Amino acid sequence: MEQRLQHEAKALLEQGKVDWIIGFEPGSLKFATTPLITKDKNDADRLVINPFMVNNLANFLTEVKGRVGIVAKGCDSRSIVSLIQDNKVVREDVVILGVPCPGIIDLNKVERLVGKDRDELDDITREGDKVAIKVDGEKKGFPVVEALFDNCLACEFPTPQEYDILLGEPSTLVANKPAAQEKIEKLKEMNPEQRWEFWKNEFSRCIRCYACRNVCPACFCQRCFVEETEPQWVLPVPRWQDNLIFQIVRNIHVAGRCTDCGECQRVCPVNIPLRSLTREMYDIVDELFHFKAGMDKEALPLMTHYEQEEAEDFFR
Amino acid sequence: MKQETEWEPKLVGFLCKWCSYAGADLAGTSRKKYPANIRIIKVPCSGRVDPLFILKALRLGFDGVLVSGCHPGECHYQTGNYRARRRVAITKKFLEYVGIEPQRIQASWVSASEGRKFTEVVAEVTKGLKEIGPNQLFSQERQGDGTKATARG
Repeated sequence: MEQRLQHEAKALLEQGKVDWIIGFEPGSLKFATTPLITKDKNDADRLVINPFMVNNLANFLTEVKGRVGIVAKGCDSRSIVSLIQDNKVVREDVVILGVPCPGIIDLNKVERLVGKDRDELDDITREGDKVAIKVDGEKKGFPVVEALFDNCLACEFPTPQEYDILLGEPSTLVANKPAAQEKIEKLKEMNPEQRWEFWKNEFSRCIRCYACRNVCPACFCQRCFVEETEPQWVLPVPRWQDNLIFQIVRNIHVAGRCTDCGECQRVCPVNIPLRSLTREMYDIVDELFHFKAGMDKEALPLMTHYEQEEAEDFFR
Repeated sequence: MKQETEWEPKLVGFLCKWCSYAGADLAGTSRKKYPANIRIIKVPCSGRVDPLFILKALRLGFDGVLVSGCHPGECHYQTGNYRARRRVAITKKFLEYVGIEPQRIQASWVSASEGRKFTEVVAEVTKGLKEIGPNQLFSQERQGDGTKATARG
């Protein structure tokens, strides 16, 4: 799969079909990958495919000029389609190198699981429905539920929905929604008062670094409402009230574009469970409008169209 | 002498210029009485209402927000109220999940000829807000254990 990717990427650059290749290369830390954005065909040999490709590369699509070949997992491909729906990206300018995703391994979960630092681990591999971790020459298998990112557990479409070249067979990853929804279900059991307290406490930690916004492919406004000064909607100082408003409004603004790729939660430096917000919004949009983000490149963006009769019960 | 006054909810109304604002105007010119709890902000269309406005109003301490526009199919700009409808629908559901009482976010269709309906809507919404009590969601004194906000039920 990896060799085919390198071969295809090189060919695309050589034939001048694309100006850029966006993919993954090995990172400086063990197991980790880092985005590779290149114009040089010799760099194609550095491209990798493994279960540690965390980033949603769709975020870089709008930042390079020209035609782009991009490596995309299931969720990334949906983010790309979502950008196409919003006219941020022209379909003809992108060559999607689809990777059927086996589910991405959360190294933090793995570290907690085996109680060791990632540097002490010999190898981590996906084997069937298990994640095999090799420590001190001994191999142990863990159920995927314990080692994959939460959003991967909830993933309905691990195989790209839109692609030009599909690298490998469709993924066999099956969603385990109960496991992925655990935190959200717990929140729903609380009363509104307790939920508000929960989010208040979580957002008291927020330092307003805006990593969640900057990493989000759906957050593409040139100027975000939090930076407007006339009027100043929210204060720039990190106070829980304003932090919470920022995140609530951000979630409403990306409704219908958010594919539950989980990037916001992954990059949060203070570990706010942001996915418990984004996933709920994803489900609300699905429930009310039967709309899933990034499924059909011809579809209109959620908030720009309507049905004559819908969601009206609460209107007086 | 200090006089004890009953708490009155404060409601902000985002009214569309073409229908609901004119409806409120009609209520006034027809000398219809409605609760003075509403503070009206005229917007060009209900589709102008960003959910951010709703959050900002709650942040400023308003007890409720009313978004009101033309009836479906009667929007001056053809589609604005349909978009508002989608937006308010997800906002209301999402805010309920986060922990804001859904009664605080209200929406209505009021046409320019419905002065009476406008008075009824404002009366109903105000009544609902009195039932759930003052908005202490963003209050600085709010205690972590939720004891401060008992009035919110």
